[in-house]
This record gives sequence, structure tokens and C-alpha cells, in this order.
Amino acid sequence: MEAALKLFSKEGFFEVTMADLAKELDMSVGNLYNYFSSKDALAKELILYISKILGEEIRRINLLPISAEEKIHKIVDFYFHTAKERPELIEYFLRIYLSHREVFKNGCEGMICVGPFVTEIMIFFEEGVRSGELRDQDFFSAFGLFMGYLGGMVFLMGEGMLPNDIEYYTDEIAENIYRALKNET
Amino acid sequence: MKIELIEKIEGEAFLDVECKKGRIKNAYVRFPHYRGIEEILRGRSPLDALVINPRVCGICGHAHLHATALALEKLVGFGPNEKVRKIREITRFCEMVQNHVKWFYLVIFTTLDLPYDFRSIQAIIQKINRLSAIFGGQWPHSSYVLPGGITCDPSVLDIVQAKRLSNQSRELLEKLLGDFELKNLSGDLRRLFDALDAKGLLYAGKSLDRFITFGNDSYVESFKILSGKKRPAKLHYIEEFSQPKSRAKGVVYKGKFYETGPLARTMQRGERFVKQLHRRYKDSVTTRIFARIYEAHLLLKKIQEHLQTLDIGMSSYEPIEIGDGEAIVAVEAARGSLVHRVCVKEGKIVDYSIITPTQWNLANGRDGEPSLIQTALQNARCEESDIIFRSFDICSVCTTH
Amino acid sequence: MKPKVVWLQGVTCNGNSHSFVNLSGLDTLLQRYEWLYHPILPSSLSLMQLWDAKCDILVIEGGAKKGWQKGEGELEKLFLHLAQKAKKVVAVGSCAVYGGVFKEFDDTICGVLFDGENKSRYYDMLADKTINIPGCPAHPEWIAFALEAENPSLDSFHRPKELYAYTVHSGCVRNEYFEWKIDAEDFGTKEGCLFYKQGCQGPFTHGSCNKILWNETASKTRVGTPCFGCTEPDFPKQDLFSTKTYMGIPATMPLGVPKRAYLTITGIAKSFHIPRLTKRLLDED
Repeated sequence: MEAALKLFSKEGFFEVTMADLAKELDMSVGNLYNYFSSKDALAKELILYISKILGEEIRRINLLPISAEEKIHKIVDFYFHTAKERPELIEYFLRIYLSHREVFKNGCEGMICVGPFVTEIMIFFEEGVRSGELRDQDFFSAFGLFMGYLGGMVFLMGEGMLPNDIEYYTDEIAENIYRALKNET
Repeated sequence: MKIELIEKIEGEAFLDVECKKGRIKNAYVRFPHYRGIEEILRGRSPLDALVINPRVCGICGHAHLHATALALEKLVGFGPNEKVRKIREITRFCEMVQNHVKWFYLVIFTTLDLPYDFRSIQAIIQKINRLSAIFGGQWPHSSYVLPGGITCDPSVLDIVQAKRLSNQSRELLEKLLGDFELKNLSGDLRRLFDALDAKGLLYAGKSLDRFITFGNDSYVESFKILSGKKRPAKLHYIEEFSQPKSRAKGVVYKGKFYETGPLARTMQRGERFVKQLHRRYKDSVTTRIFARIYEAHLLLKKIQEHLQTLDIGMSSYEPIEIGDGEAIVAVEAARGSLVHRVCVKEGKIVDYSIITPTQWNLANGRDGEPSLIQTALQNARCEESDIIFRSFDICSVCTTH
Repeated sequence: MKPKVVWLQGVTCNGNSHSFVNLSGLDTLLQRYEWLYHPILPSSLSLMQLWDAKCDILVIEGGAKKGWQKGEGELEKLFLHLAQKAKKVVAVGSCAVYGGVFKEFDDTICGVLFDGENKSRYYDMLADKTINIPGCPAHPEWIAFALEAENPSLDSFHRPKELYAYTVHSGCVRNEYFEWKIDAEDFGTKEGCLFYKQGCQGPFTHGSCNKILWNETASKTRVGTPCFGCTEPDFPKQDLFSTKTYMGIPATMPLGVPKRAYLTITGIAKSFHIPRLTKRLLDED
């Protein structure tokens, strides 16, 4: 999985063939096809793979006995850190998954392939509202704010448009998100 | 002064009677129990009342449900369409019919020591409640009526089944009772008449001969009958008053006591059968009892009519927003007019007031003026107190709520 | 020898008594017992004579409240007196089981074994002989079951598992809409699940309303009314007819279902569009 992600990141998703990948993995193409019936199938598995990695960490954060404000900070921190240390993960998500929906339309309908990740964000929101820290609102309004913001920053980073290291922005962004979502009453 | 415990009247009540030379000179009715429904409603969201209010009473809770929905609709001036109105009436009338049948046999026939076919009666009651459940989901304690309409969306199958049940119920009941022909009574109606006659009760329990009805539907309208004259009755002339030693409040209209219930309703409609009885026996136990069971027959006919003319293609519900304000409505329940008054502020119920039929019929007198029940009992033979009392079909739980 | 039954009422609306009268074949059941007292049906004794009654089964409807008058005396005294002599006590209706709706006015009202969720002051005395049949009202078949069954298996609230292990959700005609997470848009239609917006508590309420139908024909949810959770100790909750959500997620999960499992399934179900389930049922071609 990691090899595939790195290769796609380096050469480009559409440019890499299954043969290229097989060579990178030092196995025959036929053998590779035993694991993934097509490049599209591999593409979907990769998204699930990434979702699980992200989801697991957010779940770990969710289970910590800390406030929603602190959790936001940890999530932003993790997301930006991952974007920095393992750019191929987030890049794949933003530039392949979100930008080329036609690749994923059969078998990754709706939120199926990003389930593990989205579920944990839902849990975070639900518990935040239940505890009274966050304002009750439509899920997508809050989700769009949080994830759109983070994704947008990573996109800018990928384009080389951020003057500073992405982790420089963690504190301010976490605070912006918290202030936007918190309960005023 | 004798204290009689009257039981099996949807709860209990105490009748303090003073007997002299075998005749009742003074009577006072006391209801001992109070559950605080009106207090429970305070601070709750308006729709909660649709679940809480039926719990005022297990036998006429459905009428409370209707009154609640109507009161909330009145707050915003909403009026439901014809399909909703008819279905609501069907289930409300079902409750009234099974009420009358239960009372007629389990209370009146039992009090008069008359035998009856329990199995057939229970089957009739079961069928009527099943009919009600086709639309209401269950009986007792449905909450299928809400401001904006009803929750159900009946189909042709539901109507077909409902029609069969209404036909069966009516057929079975008519078989037991016989025809409503005064000159040609048979069956249980004949047995009842003969028993009243044998016990010298035909003219017993005559009261103020004043009737009042506040509900407005396809069956009755808001009228009072005073000295034989029919006049419109308006809700704002109703006045409740506390009664010492009783948890029930009394009610008057423009300061006067009135009878509410099937006798009031059938008199208003000018029903020949009841008017014939009334001409002879005035508002005695005879007229009162016969009018009540006659109403069961009338309402079954109404249910059949509605099922025949119902247009299920119309919509069942329209979302409405419950605003702040105050509204007072009346709905006909088995025992008479039921009045609900609601006051909503900032989206919560701040006040809720319920006036039940038995509060009218069993109020005690005041300012020297005797009430309906007191007039009915006055000078009656002491042993007649039970039947006279029960001829009014009391609902003890409703009365004190 | 027919078992002798006393049906005693505490703080009640009489709903359970009337529900009982709807039982199919009621007279056959009634004949198997000797009815010393019933609030509606014919019985041999009056309230004043109950003190000396020797009953085998005590059915209690309504909550227990100190100072509540019963006949000439007090409800609590009469109740305990009869309960001690009885072989079996059946608490019928949520008021008799937990205290019920009238607790909101007077919090001292409690049930036979339970005061809300907690054990009542009578628990130790009566736990070994009481069967609880909550519901508001209780279903007539449930009441008949309690009378007839010998030592049924009971759950932690002393409710027969056979009746209360199900959820009200089991058997609802709208189950498909629940499975595919299709909300009911509003009241008054046959389509859509009432759990997401209309406050249906069916998925987490113990009861068999959609298995043993009401009045042999229907149930609340079958006519589009949300379940209000009337068999549970916290009935009635606040803000009925609407689902409490946190960021659109229902606050209470279906019974035994962890939140993560529910959200995962929901996410997957909502990703698919099932045309048949989005159309009006009777319009389908």
C-alpha cells in the first residue's frame, strides 16, 4: 500500500501502470492482479487504507478524557503532522479521491470508503455537542468547516503556497475551528 | 348523615347523604383523589400534552387527545381537511360507543341485578376498539391525533376492514338491545324498562332539565337548552369553582348548573326516541339511561356514514408551527362536553386547564342553589341513590385529573 | 380450586383495566379465576370488604402513594396487607411497575418493586413473588400471560423476557426504511422511518407491540405514531414527537448497538439510493 502511494505521489496516479507498480514491488504483474483485480480496485483499497489510519488516530484522540477544544487541537496537529511526514497519504486523498470521483464511483458510493474516518469525526462532534461544549448544528455544516479548512491548508502546502511550515499554523487554526464550533450559551 | 362509597365509577367517590324518613334530604359529592395533570403539563413542550393528556383517563383518554390537538391547532388558527375531521370523529365516536356499552351493562344492568350476555358484549367492545385501532394504532392511549392532522395514512384495505367491524358491531348490539321503538321495546331495552318500572324508578332522578353542549362536529353543535329553549352556548361564560372537601371543582354556565352528555346531545338533535321519553319521564333516570344507550346506536350509524364517504386520497397531515398564545376548545366526550384551555409562552406550556363532563353533572350546589345531582337525589328514596348517581355515568379519574 | 384474584388500584387512570377488557376470549380467562375484586368487571366483594380477603393473586394497577385513600382506609396499608398474603403479585402498567407519569407531580409515588429505575421501599419484601408488566397501558395479552404463566423467566426489571426481550422495533412495517436509513419526511405517510426525526423510541424500548399487535390489528408505529417508550422507567420523556440529536446523530442508539457500529452502518446505507424505498409505497410500479 505504502509503495503504491509513494509511487503515485512521485509519478502521478494516471501515469503509473499496474506493471510499474509490480516492478516496484518486485513481483510479477500476474501476482499483483491476484491481490487487486484492477487499478481502480487498488485505488479504492487505498482510500480505505488511508481512512483506517486516520480513523484509528482520531478514535484514539476521541477516547482521551480531554475537552473538545483540546481534541480539536490534537486532530489538527495529527492531520498537519501526517501531511508533513507522510504527504502521500493526504495528497492521495485530496488530489485523487476527491478530485477524480469517476474512478471511485462503483464500490465507493457516498461515504463507504471513508467510513472509518468520517465515523470518528461524527463521534467527535456528537460527544462535543452532548457535553455542551459544541453548538448543535447540521453535521455537514460542521464537517465542511473542519475538514474543508484542513484540506484546504494541505492543498496550499502541496502547491507550495504556504510561506511557513504547515505545523506553524496548527495553534491558530485549531483555535479558529474551536471558536467557530463552540457553544456560546 | 351517611357516607356512601360509590365504587366502580372509573375510580371512587363519596356521597354524603342525609336521610329522613327514608327520603334523601341532602347530598354532597366528594372526590378524594388528585393526580396533578395540569401541573405536570407546565413547562413541557406543547406536543408532550398529546401523550400526557390521554392519561387523565383510561376510558375516555381519546377525547382528551382530540381536545389537546384541537386546542393547539386553535392557537395558530389551523383547521384540518375533511378526511382528517372524519377519521378523528370515527375514532372519537368509537370510544364513546364502547363507553356507553360498558356502562350500560357493567354498571346499570349490574346495579339493577339484570343478567346480560357478557361474551357478546365483550365481543362488541373488542370490535369497536379494534376499529378504532385501525386508525389510532391502539386503544386505549393512542396519540395518533396531532396539530396539523393525523399520523396515519389509511388505505382501502383499512376502510374495508373498518366497515366490516362497524357493521358487525352495530348488528350485534342491535340484536342484544332490540329496536329503539318505545311502543315496541324488546331484548335488553325491554328488560331494562321493566326493571326500572318494577323498582318504581321510572320517574326517579328528575333534575334541573337544563342541557348544554359545547362541542362542534358533524353530530352536535354548541347549544344550551334552558326552559325548553335552544340557544347558542359560548365558552367564555363557563366558570369553575372549588368545592370544600372534594378534589373536584364544580362548573356553572352564566352562574347556572347544566347537564351535559348524551341526554343533552340527543335533546339538542331533537331525536324522536328521546323526546318521546322526555315528554313522559322528563329528565329522570329512565330518559337519561335510554338516551345514553340510544346514542351508541346513533354514533355507530355516524361511523358507518363516515366510512362510506371518506376520501382517503386527501392528505393526512400538514406541518404547522405551534406559536405562543392562549386557546380554549371543547370536544364531545362520552359523558359530555370536555373543555381544554392551553396557554403557551416561549414555546412551552405555561398553563393548562381541563374541565370534564362529570364536573358539570356532579358538581355540588352553591349559594343555596342545588346542583344537578343534588336536585336528582332530592326526595328520592334512600336506596335509590346508587342508581340515580350511576345514571349520570361518572368518570371519577377525569373529574379530579 | 380456582385461584382468587384481587385487582387493586393505586394512583391510576384505569387504562390497564380497560386494556384488559379488550382481551380476546376474555370470558374464558375470567372463568379460570375467582374474582374477588375488579374495578370494572363483576366481582364478589366491595372495596370495604377487601381487608379480610384472602387472595392468591394480587394484581396491582397504579402507583403507590402514602395517604391515598382506598375505601375506608389507606391504599398502602391495604396493598401490603394483601400482598403479603398473596402467592403472586402482578404489577400491571408502568405506574405499578415504576411509579409512572404521575410521579412528575408527586415524586413520592412509586411502583411495587421499582421507584423509577431504583429499587422501591417494597423491593426486598416482594421481589420474589412479583411479575412486572409495564406499559402505558399494558397490553391485554401481557396481563393474561402474567396471570397464567408459572415462574416465567424475568429480566432485571422483573419483566417476563418472553414479552420484553423484544424491542418495539421488531416487526414494525417500516423496518426497511430503518435498514436503509430513509427518514420519514413528516407525519401522515406510510413511508419512512420515524426514528430519525419524529422521536420514535421503538429501537431502544423493550416490548412486543409489533409482534403481538394492539387490538389484534395495529400498533403505534404501524399508524405512523412514534413509540414513546412507555414500558421503560423514564416514561414519559421530554419533547416527544421529535428525536433528540447531536449534530444530526440520534442521541439514543438502538438497544445494544454501539455508536460506532451504528454510524458505520448508517454511513454505508445512506450512500446508496434505493429508488423503491424513496417512492410512495402504493405508487410503485
